[in-house]
Order: sequence, then structure tokens, then C-alpha cells
Amino acid sequence: MSKFTGVWAIFEYLDETTETIEQIRKQGVQPTVITPCPKHEIDHALGEPTSLVPWIALAFGALGCFIGYSFPAWSASDWVLPVSGKPIVAIPPFTIIGFELTILFTTIFTLLGLFLLGFIDSLRFPIPKGAKKYRRFQRDRFGVVVRCDEAKLEEFESIMKKNGAEEVHVEKE
Amino acid sequence: MGTTAEYNASAGRVVIDEHRGHPGIKATTLDYGQINDEMLAMLDKPNPSYYLLLLGFLMALGLGVLSFAVQVDVGIGFSGISHPIAWGFYITNFVFWIGIGHAGTLISAVFYLTRAPWRTAIYRSAEAMTVFAVFTAGLFPLVHIGRPWLAFWLIPYPNERMLWVNFKSPLLWDVFAVTTYMSVSIMFFLLGLIPDLAILRDEAARRGKKLKALIYAPMALAWRGTNHQWVHYMRGYLIFAACATPLVFSVHSIVSWDFAMSSVPGWHTTIFAPYFVAGAIFSGLSMVLTVLIPMRAVFGLQDYITNHVIQSVAKMIIFTSLIVGYAYATEFFIGYYSGSPFERAIFYYRPFGEMQSWTLLGDNQISFPQIAFWLMVFCNVIAPIPLWRWKIRNNPLAVWIIAALVNVGMWFERFNIIGSSLQHEYDPASWGEYWPTIVETGVTIGSFGFFFTLFTLFAKSLPPMAIMELKEGANPPLKHAEKKDTNE
Repeated sequence: MSKFTGVWAIFEYLDETTETIEQIRKQGVQPTVITPCPKHEIDHALGEPTSLVPWIALAFGALGCFIGYSFPAWSASDWVLPVSGKPIVAIPPFTIIGFELTILFTTIFTLLGLFLLGFIDSLRFPIPKGAKKYRRFQRDRFGVVVRCDEAKLEEFESIMKKNGAEEVHVEKE
Repeated sequence: MGTTAEYNASAGRVVIDEHRGHPGIKATTLDYGQINDEMLAMLDKPNPSYYLLLLGFLMALGLGVLSFAVQVDVGIGFSGISHPIAWGFYITNFVFWIGIGHAGTLISAVFYLTRAPWRTAIYRSAEAMTVFAVFTAGLFPLVHIGRPWLAFWLIPYPNERMLWVNFKSPLLWDVFAVTTYMSVSIMFFLLGLIPDLAILRDEAARRGKKLKALIYAPMALAWRGTNHQWVHYMRGYLIFAACATPLVFSVHSIVSWDFAMSSVPGWHTTIFAPYFVAGAIFSGLSMVLTVLIPMRAVFGLQDYITNHVIQSVAKMIIFTSLIVGYAYATEFFIGYYSGSPFERAIFYYRPFGEMQSWTLLGDNQISFPQIAFWLMVFCNVIAPIPLWRWKIRNNPLAVWIIAALVNVGMWFERFNIIGSSLQHEYDPASWGEYWPTIVETGVTIGSFGFFFTLFTLFAKSLPPMAIMELKEGANPPLKHAEKKDTNE
């Protein structure tokens, strides 16, 4: 994890950060941005990134719905309790279990999914130790991290400096 | 937007134009760092009165634990629950607390989807209330069943009795609804907390408080605030809100079916689901105000939980009060119009007692459901009427008194529904009278102690407002805009 080659910088202003992101993206590199809160401006500059979380939610919601109907149906058939000639496998009452398990599965796997995807992304797009130890990203500063070859370090460093970065750190393996 | 909320140096605070209904809060005029500082100041060491308050709540909780211990030792017969009244205070408390637990998810999920900006200041506390209220509610079926150590029989699992639970029973629907609601509420609450816990971790480290940083670090789950984390987080949050919204409406509907699916007069009615949901939101929002108005005074949060926020919640209370009042009237009309003598009898019994006298002031003895009925009507229908006036809505003390009365009224509404119908079912030979015993009263007081103890601990250990969302609503730091301001 400590092997990181690239440039990372600290910005005070949002507009400078978005400007930097756009210029870095023009060089064909997708930076990682650290912000104290989600901002639409950052998403626009990054080219509207998408997430797989809704697909995970949909898949596991469907699984929950299936279990919510099939399990009561199976257990009602496993030990039959006839009541007043009413159907043994009754859809309306099982709809309630189906609904609840759909919601339960959707939410549980959404939570797990977003953590898992976040973890995978942290491996795919590592950020340097120095940026992790910088304590003002959760307070009032914006961070831009670029992973690149040694040959391009200077270029990205100059982009960041030109756009008013408070600090620029160049790191080599 | 920002022009109506301005910092007045002489007043030493942000002045917000309430008349123009500006939803803005102080955070809109602060920078990100100041928001962190203001929110973290709320978690400073509490003063002695905090401990005194906590002690009071712990004593109430202790009374509840003691009462429950006595009941376990002597047996469920020590409570007032007996034939024909099988559901007494405990189920009343269960329904009441589940209802209280509705406001948090309503505020955090429904108002998130509808983009109501005033929710930001109160949704974290309301969500915590939901979690604690559902915890409290969840205790009551266990207390009620008499042998709580056998509660696991409610869960479908392969067992040596080769039996499965009855999925056609509303009581089992309730088990699934309440456990799902509890799980989703807890997850939603924790999800919202993660970025704030990362703030607490980094601020503690920045200020050299190593132990605090060490405690908050695992709780923050390696949150760094990268764009990759935010994109998954925001999508996930939206899905949570979308799932929690129908769940809010389903939970109390399913609780109402515990009653409506039976054939008991006064319960067997199709109006119950919307009637219970409206009542739940009504009581939940009232509890939010009952707790937050004193909290706002103690922490000096007038610039965050502004009068506008209180007014917005008060308007929701008026709206749900009207629905609840309409439901009361409909119940009586249907009782009359159905032509069923049993329905007519129960709806005579609820306000007037036994059918032995012609007048209200006759010689009939007052029963507990009668007291409950009139308290219910006064607190839920009449007491909220003054909220129609702007002056009353703009007076936090008046709103607090009304909200507290609504809480009382909603508790008695639950009791009125449960107690009266069971006392007077079909056959007069099996009619009975219910009065709670000391253990039931003790456990009921204990439940309030449990809820308020948890909330008091929460208010000083986790940020009672969502720092991340306050920042989201604040003006972002812009170099260009700043230059323009200084030039002016």
C-alpha cells in the first residue's frame, strides 16, 4: 500500500479543486478527490461517476422477496395446519413477509455492498499515507490525488500549483 | 438564499427572517471549519445538571427493571392482565413506543426524498429517537409474554417439535415488521453517522486527543471521504431512504392489523391501518418536539433548530391531528351506520361507560377506558387547535406544552382502543374490568426511563446534528466568490 507514485495536493477552495480535476482529466488521468462533504460540482468535474450499489440492492431485494414468499409457502406445506378451509399456501398474508424481507435484504446488502465497493476502490485507487494522515480533509480542505508515471510527475505538479494548491506533495515509490 | 440569514455582530448570532419562512440555519453562514467546531463543542464535558438529569432517568429505569424482576419472580399473574383483558398496559406501551419511533424515519427518509431543507437540523436526533423508541417497544412483547426466555419460539427455525411458526398470523407479521424496522432504523442511523465519526476521529487526532481518536477510528470504518466512497455512499443512502419510506407506513399498518384482523368490536375495521399510521406520525413528531425544544434551550441551538423548524414540525402535527380526529369521528359513524349492536355498544361504552344510565352525569361508575377516551379527545383533537395560529407556533414553550399533551393523548388513545374493546366483547357474561397493577405502572415508568437514558447518553457522545449534511447545506468555499466580496 505504501508503494505510491504520484502527486497529491491540498486545496482550500472548491472552484480551484474542480478546475484542477478538469485539467488533470484532460491529460487522460482520473484523479481521486477527497472532500469534507459530497458536492455536485466535484461529480460534474469527475464526469458523473456511477456506482454498482443500486444493482446490488436490486439483486438482493429480489432474493429477499423470493425468500419472503417461498419460505412461508414451504413451511406451511411442511406442516399443514388447515384452518376453516382456507388455503394452505395463501398469497395475501405471505405478501407481508415478502415485503418485509425485500426491504430487509435490500438494506442489509446495500450497506454491505457500499462498504465492499468502497474497500475494492481503496485497493484500486490507493491514496498515499501522507494524505491519509492529513487531518483537515474531514474539516475544511479538498484533496486531489493523481497516480501517474514518474515521467508525468512534474506536469501534474505544475497543474496543481498553477491552480492555487496550498500544498503539493510529490511521491515516488 | 443566503441573504435572509445574516450574521448580526451586535446580537452575536445569526438573525434569520422567520416571517419570510426562510428554511436557512446558522450553518449556511458558517464555513466548514466553524461547523466542525460548533458541533464538537456540543460534545464537551457536560455540566453537573446533565448528570442529575441522567440520574433521574436511570432511577426511572431502575424502577422498571425492579418491577419486571418482581413480575418474573411472582409470575405474569401479578400484573393486571387476566381474562378477558389479555392485553393491558404492556401492549399499549408497545404500540405507543412503535408509534414514537415513526418520526425519525419519516424525517430522515421521507423528508430527504422530498428535499425538505429544515430536516437537516433535527433528523439525527429524530433518528436516534426512532432507534431508542423501537428498542423500548421491542421490550414489551417480551415483558408481556410472561416467559420471556421462550421468546425465541417466535423465530422460524428448524426445531425438534417439527413445527413452524404461523405465517398467517398478524402477530407473526408484527414480529417481522418490527424486527425489520428496527434493523433498518439502526443501519440507517449508523450509515448517517459514519462520515461524522470520521470527522470526530480526525478532529480528535488534530487536537492531540489520542485516546478519543483511537476510539473513533474503528467506528469510522476507514472513512476518508474520497469521491469513490461518496458515490457509493450517496447511492446507498438514497436506496435506504427509498426503502425506509414504505417501511414507515407498513410498520404501523401491520401493528394495526394485530387488532383489525380479529373479530373484536371496535377493532375489526378497515380504517385501522391509515388511522394508526397517522397517529404514529402524530405522536412521533410530538415526541421530537418534546425532546428537542428543551435540548435546543440547554445547548443554545436556537440558530440551528430555528423557530422555522419548530413551526414546520408543528404544521405536520396539525395535519396529522386532523387525520386522527377525522378517524375518531369515522369510527363512531361506522359504529352507528354498520347496524351492528356490538359495534354500537362499544362506541357507547368508550365515552359514556356502562349502558345503564341515560345521561353523562348518571349513576354509572367511571371506568379506566372512559378516562382514556376523554383525555384522548382533549389532547389529540382539541389541544393542537391553537397551533393553527402563527403566534402559538412561533412560541416554543406553547408548542412544547401542546406536544407534551399530544404524547399523553396518544398513549391514552392506544389504551382506549385496547382496553375498552377487550373489556366489552360480545357476551356480557365475559365482560370484565381492567386496572393496572403496580408492576405494570413500574414497567411503564421504566420504559420512559430507558428511552430518555439512551437519548441523554446519545446527546453527549455522538453529534446530535449531522455535521456532514450541515456542510452540504452551507456555502462552499469559493475563491472566485471571495474575491468578489472583498472588492465590494
